[in-house]
Amino acid sequence: MRRVVTAAVLAALVCLATGPGAAQPVQKLKLGVLKLTSSAVLFLGVERGYFKEFGIDPELVYFQAAQPIAVALASGDIEVGATGLTAGLYNIVTGGVRIWIVADKGREWPDYNLSALVVRTDLYDAGVRTLRDLKGKKIGVTQIGSTFHYNVGRYLEKEGMALRDVELVPLQALPALNDALTARRVDAVATAEPFVSRLESSGAGRVIVNTGDTFPWQIATVMYSDKFARDRARAVAFMRGYVKASRAYYDAVLAQKSGPAHDEVVRLTARYTGAAPELIRRGLPYQDRDGRLMSGDVGRQMAWWHEHGLVKARLAEKDIVDESFLREALKNAGR
Amino acid sequence: MTRLPVPDRTRALARRRHPVARVLGLLGLVLAWEGVTRTGWVPPLFLPSPLGVLAAGAEMLTTGELAVHIATSLRRIVLGFGLGALGGVSVGLAVGVFSLAEAIGNPLIAATFPIPKIALLPLLILWLGIGEASKVAVIMLGVFFPMAINTYTGVRHADPLLIRAAVSFGAGRWSVIRKVMLPSALPMIFAGLKLGAGTSLLLLVAAEMIAANSGIGFLILNAQNLMETTKLMVGIVLLSLLGLASHWLLVRLERAALPWRAEA
Amino acid sequence: MRVLLDDVTKTYADRSGHAVEALAGVSVTAEDEELLAIVGPSGCGKSTLLNMVAGLLAPSGGSIAFEGELPAGRPPTAMVFQEFALFPWRTVQTNVELGLEERGLPAAERREVARRVIELTGLGGFETKYPHQLSGGMRQRVGIARALAVEPAVLLMDEPFSALDAQTRQLMQEELLAIWERTRQTILYVTHNIHEAVWMADRVVVLSRRPGRVLEIVPVKLPRPRTEAMLGEPGFVQAVERIWTLIKSQAREALREGAA
Repeated sequence: MRRVVTAAVLAALVCLATGPGAAQPVQKLKLGVLKLTSSAVLFLGVERGYFKEFGIDPELVYFQAAQPIAVALASGDIEVGATGLTAGLYNIVTGGVRIWIVADKGREWPDYNLSALVVRTDLYDAGVRTLRDLKGKKIGVTQIGSTFHYNVGRYLEKEGMALRDVELVPLQALPALNDALTARRVDAVATAEPFVSRLESSGAGRVIVNTGDTFPWQIATVMYSDKFARDRARAVAFMRGYVKASRAYYDAVLAQKSGPAHDEVVRLTARYTGAAPELIRRGLPYQDRDGRLMSGDVGRQMAWWHEHGLVKARLAEKDIVDESFLREALKNAGR
Repeated sequence: MTRLPVPDRTRALARRRHPVARVLGLLGLVLAWEGVTRTGWVPPLFLPSPLGVLAAGAEMLTTGELAVHIATSLRRIVLGFGLGALGGVSVGLAVGVFSLAEAIGNPLIAATFPIPKIALLPLLILWLGIGEASKVAVIMLGVFFPMAINTYTGVRHADPLLIRAAVSFGAGRWSVIRKVMLPSALPMIFAGLKLGAGTSLLLLVAAEMIAANSGIGFLILNAQNLMETTKLMVGIVLLSLLGLASHWLLVRLERAALPWRAEA
Repeated sequence: MRVLLDDVTKTYADRSGHAVEALAGVSVTAEDEELLAIVGPSGCGKSTLLNMVAGLLAPSGGSIAFEGELPAGRPPTAMVFQEFALFPWRTVQTNVELGLEERGLPAAERREVARRVIELTGLGGFETKYPHQLSGGMRQRVGIARALAVEPAVLLMDEPFSALDAQTRQLMQEELLAIWERTRQTILYVTHNIHEAVWMADRVVVLSRRPGRVLEIVPVKLPRPRTEAMLGEPGFVQAVERIWTLIKSQAREALREGAA
């Protein structure tokens, strides 16, 4: 009896050792992310070795903002990037360098608000509660062409107003937005977690619009450099790992808002980002369980930027979106 | 008896003017640049074509966008430069003439001069806000120091013979300052102005990149954020034009103010 | 106007703090309308002496005084410098007007006075030129014009033609004497050129090397106006020889010592 058990254990060990991951040599690649809560799904995938199972060993490369990730993809410095969609990204493609949007990595979604419009407390108390009340006032954003710029534009349009009804003040970095609001140099800021919570808890500002509740949109995606996209085998392999990570992420923190699995992801993210757990809980973005993109939203964004003169030419979705890697990865991927 | 002609030994060292080459060199570079962009080897994102840059510039001119940026930047630079120059010359004069002012002023200037003014920018924004004041202030500081130091040096290097001559003809302290020290310092003051012009351009761009929504520096940063490299080049060309224009202006001013400088 | 120097001494501290005695008791009187030359080996203190008469330096001991009538508005002295000391940023006209400005004259009067002096010194037509556009001789004419413009009682000339080439120098000497015939101030004329001193002066004060004191005052018994023919006359030659004899040994010692 004992010999059978030993043999079985040995066989199992051999099987594990010679599993799909061990057959191929593990290939390294550079994965550009922001060191924020919003990259939790990728921290999870790397930590639990989901990519390694398919022969990919991603090296996390941290950036300070979304735009530099797009630039690094354009120059081929990194193979994969996972970050927000900006006008700059679309201009790279219109400028003749291809970057491919391949999977969902974060949506503004009802009940899962990543960003908000925060008004100065003193103005709020004086009655400034809606977009209409902000007419002619200063709204701080990070940069022209950023996701925050897009947010403000969409907030205004929902109220039948236009961007020229307010004064956008670009302040470059998220912490600068908080400083500016606290020092009363602007009247409102369009910012993201954890800065939204910080403003509210310090009493400097009050939220008047939550983006996800107001209009859902495809805010962040996984992207491939053109060169990496041509390496079909590796590109699909990475996607297989990503699907696994996405599903694990969804099941742990999106299907429920508490519990041991949830806590574990929060702890993991805290380790990678150094942020406090309460802040992390508030900043976990919503995404599709299988990593599918919001249909047509990329096209809608590009049209909006083009309409506002910030993207030179019109692009069709097919010139920038390629879900074929995802589709292939989802085949035989079970549930 | 054989005759030996005297060889021209300095022939090889002779410097000639090459007017044709000067023009062709620059033109050739621009043509080559245009040619490369047309072949499509390099995506326009990385290398906008010169004609494209010209076209983008022309378009921005007609929409009035360019005028706004140029006007805003000019306003900031003129104000900052003017204030800094005025302040710098006054302090430099005081420190050069009065020994007490020198004793107090010199160590202060020496201590604060090496601080890169760009590093002071966030502090200035904290104190003066994100509006015009902090931008003008940083330019002013950047111009103040070369002006103060140059004026001081110019005053201190006033020819003592001329001071003696003035005194021998009955000039008192203020006469000497007005009639000998200040005119003696003028060449150095102009040197400081030229230096300050370059610094102010640098600081203008830095200030406009931190908290502005118009201006040439903002134009460049914005274009960078949006990855509109053609507009970026327009901004850069504008900057270099601004630099050239201010240098030319200062040279003309110097020539008018210092007519006795044989080499000017 | 007479200039009385009574036992004038000057001591100063050099760069390393040591006391240097420049002049050791000089007593000389310049008579009214006299052209008194002062010669001596290098470092004898002749320029120091002149600066003290001008009021640019204070004597350490002894006294310097003027004796005579001084009309209001006229300064006791005005100086002509070896290196011209013109303001490069001023034209000839305004350089000449410098002293008049300090005297407080209104612009129109300044221009008029300057114009006269400019004509006198042969600068007519050069009023708007800058010093860098002028030759050395012309520049010193401006220096002389500037000094004459204020009508000083005593004209102090500190090696005025030493910076000029020999030919220009000679011409300028003649010109100065011609001008002096008309203006007739007392002149104290410092030079290291013995021939120049004898040819120009009524008397020549010979100073020793440092510390400077009067070795002898040599009179020049030549009539005025001085002519080139006089350069060969015994009165001239003897005076020159006498002075050179006095100076030669002093100069030789100074050369050996290397004292500047």
